[in-house]
Amino acid sequence: MAELVDTSVPKLAAGCRWGGTVEAPVVLFPEGAIRVEGTGRIILELCDGHFSLAEIVQKLEAQFMLAPKGKIRADVLTFLEQLHAKRIVDY
Amino acid sequence: MTQCSNPLALIAEITHRCPLHCVYCSNPLELTSRREELTTADWLRVFGEAAALGVLHLHLTGGEPLARPDLAELIEGARKSRLYTNLITSGIGLSRERLVQLVEAGLDHIQLSFQDSTEGHANWIAGARAHKHKLELAGWIRSHNIAFTVNLVVHRQNIEHLEEMIAALEALHPGRMEIAHAQYYGWALRNRAALLPTRAQLDRAVAVVAAAEERLRGKVRIDMVVPDYHARFPKACMGGWGRQLLLIDPAGRALPCHAAGVIPGLRFDNVREHTIDWIWQNSAAFQKFRGEEWMPEPCRSCDRRKEDFGGCRCQAFLLTGDASATDPVCELAPLHHLIEDAVRKDSVNEDAASDDALSNDAVSEDRATGSAPEAHNAPFHVLQEKMAGFWSYRIDPK
Repeated sequence: MAELVDTSVPKLAAGCRWGGTVEAPVVLFPEGAIRVEGTGRIILELCDGHFSLAEIVQKLEAQFMLAPKGKIRADVLTFLEQLHAKRIVDY
Repeated sequence: MTQCSNPLALIAEITHRCPLHCVYCSNPLELTSRREELTTADWLRVFGEAAALGVLHLHLTGGEPLARPDLAELIEGARKSRLYTNLITSGIGLSRERLVQLVEAGLDHIQLSFQDSTEGHANWIAGARAHKHKLELAGWIRSHNIAFTVNLVVHRQNIEHLEEMIAALEALHPGRMEIAHAQYYGWALRNRAALLPTRAQLDRAVAVVAAAEERLRGKVRIDMVVPDYHARFPKACMGGWGRQLLLIDPAGRALPCHAAGVIPGLRFDNVREHTIDWIWQNSAAFQKFRGEEWMPEPCRSCDRRKEDFGGCRCQAFLLTGDASATDPVCELAPLHHLIEDAVRKDSVNEDAASDDALSNDAVSEDRATGSAPEAHNAPFHVLQEKMAGFWSYRIDPK
């Protein structure tokens, strides 16, 4: 599995894209979809090919200032690695 | 009337025409002819209505969908209706230029079916010289920004080659592999005695897939559909009758699943006469086995009814003669012996006995241990757990 590092630029994999409605967005992928809400949605919206992992973490830290140091990065890593294994996110 | 949720996926069988003659084909034994097929305008209206009802995915299948000259137009219309478009194809007749046309029309995902790793064997299974072209086609597909799945249908005639087949497909660099054991309807049921793998073969296949999954993690997502004849409990067929999916056949009839046409007494409403919304809410065929009202015991009081929705109605009919019977795959079913008999009788690896040492082992191992469901069932649960957090339209046997 490709390693996810600070300079990696995560983005939706080929053939995966946003769908659903504005109120209830989903990420569509072959044979299924994930309903994304809360932080998951915020993270995936940043996976548009413009931001590195470090930048994504930085943005989230700015938004969730009360979260313990290091926790946001660890959570983002786990989340993106899981989606990478499902071939929904590439980096 | 039983309350229903919105459908999530539409399976559009846009034609029954196909250059292949696969012995495991799930199409009905009586196929729709070309002159009865829905028009482009009919389909585009259907896609719009389906999307408005909440459908997210459109699976364009057949037959061979490439046989429809208006395929690009259908894809473009579906994308305009905001559907995710998946083309399920053998790839036969798909030129580089036509692929570009389909991608430009908005195709999201292409699912290419393979039969075996060596061309000779593959052609024997599919009954046409098809394999070499697919290898070339895979390269063209990868040059586009679309999802690429390769699909293998596995059965006793090729299951011993699974490791080679996976290796050959890996070289095509798909994003996803679907390893689908044949399910026993239509032609596959008729040919079951030649197709049903032994328990030992299945267990080896599950181990082969698990190893490939580990090795390819992050590169290729592998989804496996196992033959439910070897499971303890039935599959949640189509995610429950009239619950997540609807299928429109080439002539416009709306069915709750591929095989529902075999069940006598069901009348399938046609999209030429009704909207998708009306059909989903009101069509008697969709209501027939929706929810739990129809369930006999032991399903009615069983905790598993909310997981498997009573299993497969078509299989119940095909094997017991009663579409309301408990799916005989279930070990709790009064007629479970029908499955046990089929496994005993049909899943015997006589064809490989003379030329393949591995297969010989399979026969003796199977006979020595009989079926030991408890000890063997772990892999099914592992497969199922992997789907946690996702919902899939595909049958997901336990």
